[in-house]
Amino acid sequence: MMDVTLPPRLKRIGNKLNGPNTLGNSRAFWAAFAVGMIVMAAYPLVRGSYAAGQFSLFLAYGLLALSLSLIWGYTGILSFGQVAFFGIAGYTYAIVSLNLGGAFGQTVALPVAIAAATLSAFVLGYFMFYGGVQDVYVAILTLVVTLVLETFMAQTAGSEWSIGTVALGGFNGIPGIRNFALGVEGASISLSGSGFYWFVLGVLLLAYLGARVLVNSKYGYALVAIREDAERTAMLGYNVKRVKLAVFTLSGALAGFGGVLYATWGNYMDPSVFSLVFATIPIVWVTLGGRESLLGAIVGTMIIERLRLWFSVNASEFAIVFVGVILMTTVLLVPRGILPGIKDGYVFFSEHGIREGIEHGRVTIQTRIQAWLGSLGIGQSDTETPPSSEVVRE
Amino acid sequence: MSDNRVSRRSVLATGAAGVGAALAGCSGGGGGGGSGSDTIKIGVLEDRSGNFSLVGTPKWRASKLAIEEINDNGGIMGQQIELFDPDPQSDNQRYQQLTERLIQQEDVDALWAGYSSATREAIRPIIDREDQLYFYTTQYEGGVADKNVFCMGSTARQQLGSVVPYMIENFGTDIYTIAADYNFGQLSADWVKVIAQENGASVNNEEFIPLSNQNFGSTISNIQDADPDFVMAILVGNNHSSFWNQRTSAGLDIPMGTSTVMAQSYQHKRLEAPALADVYGGFNYMEEIPTDRNEDYVSRYYDRFPDAGYANQESVNNYFSMYMYKDAVEAAGTTDQQAVREELEGGMEVTGDQSPEGDISLQGPVHHMSHNMRVMRCDEEHNITVEDERMIPEQFLSETVGIDLSGEDSELERQFTPTEYYDAAGE
Amino acid sequence: MTSGFGATGLLTPLFIGDVLGGLDSIGVPVTQLLQMADSIAFIILAAIGLTIIFGMMGVINLAHGEFIMMGAYITTLSVNVAGLPLPVAMILGALGTAIFGAIVERTIVRRLYGRLLDSMIVTFGLGLILTQGTRIIFGNSLQSIGTPFGNVPGYTYSAYRVLLLFAAIAVLGGAYLVFTRTEFGIQARATIQDAETARSMGVDTDRMYTVTFAIGSGLAGLTGALYAPSATIVPGMGQSFLVESFVTVVTGGSTVLLGTTLAGGVLGTIDAVFSNLYGNFIGQIALLLTAIIVIRLLPDGLTGLAHTIRDKLGERQ
Repeated sequence: MMDVTLPPRLKRIGNKLNGPNTLGNSRAFWAAFAVGMIVMAAYPLVRGSYAAGQFSLFLAYGLLALSLSLIWGYTGILSFGQVAFFGIAGYTYAIVSLNLGGAFGQTVALPVAIAAATLSAFVLGYFMFYGGVQDVYVAILTLVVTLVLETFMAQTAGSEWSIGTVALGGFNGIPGIRNFALGVEGASISLSGSGFYWFVLGVLLLAYLGARVLVNSKYGYALVAIREDAERTAMLGYNVKRVKLAVFTLSGALAGFGGVLYATWGNYMDPSVFSLVFATIPIVWVTLGGRESLLGAIVGTMIIERLRLWFSVNASEFAIVFVGVILMTTVLLVPRGILPGIKDGYVFFSEHGIREGIEHGRVTIQTRIQAWLGSLGIGQSDTETPPSSEVVRE
Repeated sequence: MSDNRVSRRSVLATGAAGVGAALAGCSGGGGGGGSGSDTIKIGVLEDRSGNFSLVGTPKWRASKLAIEEINDNGGIMGQQIELFDPDPQSDNQRYQQLTERLIQQEDVDALWAGYSSATREAIRPIIDREDQLYFYTTQYEGGVADKNVFCMGSTARQQLGSVVPYMIENFGTDIYTIAADYNFGQLSADWVKVIAQENGASVNNEEFIPLSNQNFGSTISNIQDADPDFVMAILVGNNHSSFWNQRTSAGLDIPMGTSTVMAQSYQHKRLEAPALADVYGGFNYMEEIPTDRNEDYVSRYYDRFPDAGYANQESVNNYFSMYMYKDAVEAAGTTDQQAVREELEGGMEVTGDQSPEGDISLQGPVHHMSHNMRVMRCDEEHNITVEDERMIPEQFLSETVGIDLSGEDSELERQFTPTEYYDAAGE
Repeated sequence: MTSGFGATGLLTPLFIGDVLGGLDSIGVPVTQLLQMADSIAFIILAAIGLTIIFGMMGVINLAHGEFIMMGAYITTLSVNVAGLPLPVAMILGALGTAIFGAIVERTIVRRLYGRLLDSMIVTFGLGLILTQGTRIIFGNSLQSIGTPFGNVPGYTYSAYRVLLLFAAIAVLGGAYLVFTRTEFGIQARATIQDAETARSMGVDTDRMYTVTFAIGSGLAGLTGALYAPSATIVPGMGQSFLVESFVTVVTGGSTVLLGTTLAGGVLGTIDAVFSNLYGNFIGQIALLLTAIIVIRLLPDGLTGLAHTIRDKLGERQ
């Protein structure tokens, strides 16, 4: 096979991007990745500006999923609160950009909004991690915080609930957010359709590569160690609380950026971003896409959201039923997620060849069906032990 | 890689195919689909699943009934109507995506969409950006002045303006308001104060209840303690429907007025009598209106949809507005949205079988309807009777604010609220 | 005989009215107590099914709301379509949901005991299917059942909702007895604490899991059955119980029954008091904030607090 020797500079970068904490490290992976990026970049040219504008929502969601993958997949912190930072940033962007007005207002609003999300994440993270809240309690606490935000924002309907000239709008939300723009009067760019798509794609790409560097660095090892066994990691001398707080804050910033993009995509912001359903959706994306894979989280998000939209257009009232069925079957059949599942398959095929691969697949399906029938009382049963509640509480 | 059983080329191919498949999805046709000028394209986005499906499904049904009737009678200008009606699942992001799709990809000539005001606000930026003709058919808080939006439902001012004076006249001047704690509820409560002041009454107690609340024990006790002459109950959503059983079993027998209960979510058919005894509602329509033309409409509705639960207030707005659109297109001679808009702004009459509630008219310069308002009473056996009836035009935008969307204000895109114009509302 | 029962029937409301009136006259805030009873009952009943499934087994059951809905639907249909009396219909609602829970456990949940967070996604999907499926089959709403009894004598308050507090206590007491005093209960708890040892001592652990999950589902169904006469019956009705139930289970801590009782009491009281003073919105916020504070300050919820107090008292002696 061709053995491309990379210049030393690229090699260093390559080393940073690759590591045991990401699934795809081989040249084949990067080649496929490059092809994928070219396809994504060409999408607006092929499908048109409108379709690209629509798809850019999924890319913005990808940022949200990436943030969750970092804290959940890599550090083991399950949080329902990513949408809280997503929403806080979106609302802040709306308030600042509409108050200041113009492209300059929007340029200022972007860092302010991300700062608001980052600060919220820092405060909540400090409250939780330095207060000793762990595991499932973190999940419930972040969920409750998100719901408090929803309840609060939904009743800010009167004109007394205004910040500057912008009414928070309560249940009706804040309409009229401008398309994404940067610059000052006279020298600004406003993005929509294809332009917006390429911008979001670029942001997502940078965030993804940055996250890869992070998780493959020494810091990334600390994250994974905390996920596997936090006590042992602490005993080895790592300041677990500080690491958790740092990654939680970083995730909040990423989610916040996603929120700004969401607000400028729909030109609208309302309390439904804080709802129970929307808070649960990122967890669904990341679980199905592969929580321990950054790319899996992003790709899983795009696939699921695209599918949900397709269902709602074509399946009418059965759409939600199909989504539920897909969720259940995917989790039961492909436990690690779609992308890790693909990778496992690829690894297997490349080691054992196609014929054996198909044989193995057939045997696996057979065993699984037998086990499932067994659980129904036909044949032998095959169960794992649920841990006691005390273990879960740790 | 030691063996070349899986070549790099096949990996690239698989990778590209995988990503490509994910992107392409299954939607057919590229952007800008064929704009076949031999059909008239209409988009109807109404919730058939999710939180609002109870009130959204009748709206969809009524639109479908109107379209089928029109098509059976030759269509609009001889052209058949082609309906695009995906289900937005009570999800505002879904609404945004589907609205964009209907406008950009299906090129609809007119759009009906949304139950809640939040949905309307979520898609209004898209509507305004694309200059899409849009009919919003739910009764709502009022005040929307937008060149692209035609509001077919009765406003809070019209609804409360029919029932509150009636209640004051029959029961007294001491009012207790309980309202859902969000925009519509709060603005309606403001209107109750304004109308009370105009009629020599006063709202002495106000209580706002979050939409998620279904426990009304404290509210009921408070009302009993205050002992008002009547209660204005502006309750919204399924959780609030628990109020009626609780009030009845608690023995609270103060008369109650409403602009939301019964006509929208037909609690009087879903709850066992006498849960809604002595409730008076101000509506432009209820299924039980005893006129010939309405009874004819209701039988047509159930013939077409035997499984339907109820023909609710907002669904009839979907029905008549479809006919009104047909008349406007035929008068303008084209489906060009600007021309149709101008035709509508010249004022429209909706009469006869086209309007089951009675003969009504569109106030062109403000894009709102004058409605045939009725005060309808529910008794202990859940029978509905009409107690009062009068035509009430839209007053807030046309008189108090004074705008003209067909003329000088033709570029407006905003919503006005009573607190800006009435002292009573701001308290 | 019959006249004796009849006389008792008349006596009870009058008697209660007199007692309450008497309490009121010596300054006891009866109305507030009634509201607290209502709130506490709601919170305990919302949480009880989830307490078994999440608190004992660790399965994050996001379809909990749909189990409640199922109990309500079975009860309502039994009364309206089959004409059964209300108490029978309620038992049917609880049993039907229990059987459904057993099926779900055997086919789906069993696969997920090693992957508890995945159980969340699967039950989320199940919830979607149940809600939309109910909507497709039964339509957007069912005709509901009237609320039995009337008002608390002398007070503008629904007697039924207050009596639910007694139902909640009965359910808690019953669950306590089952899990501590019966052979099955002890085996079930042993299985959950240490399945290997239990199995080696001859306990059929598979059956234990199924039955425990079924009990949890059945209790959720019972909640739906109990609240059916007071609510409107729509496919999404379970959602309004979901937040309170998770918050209560987590606030309560690891001891299932003590924790639920304490959490229900504390959260219900706070909700009622704040709603009364400042309105329902503040009441809701106060409840959520209390949960946040408890989670933050007490690592094992209120159970941990109770144990700490008990230990401290023990030390003093």
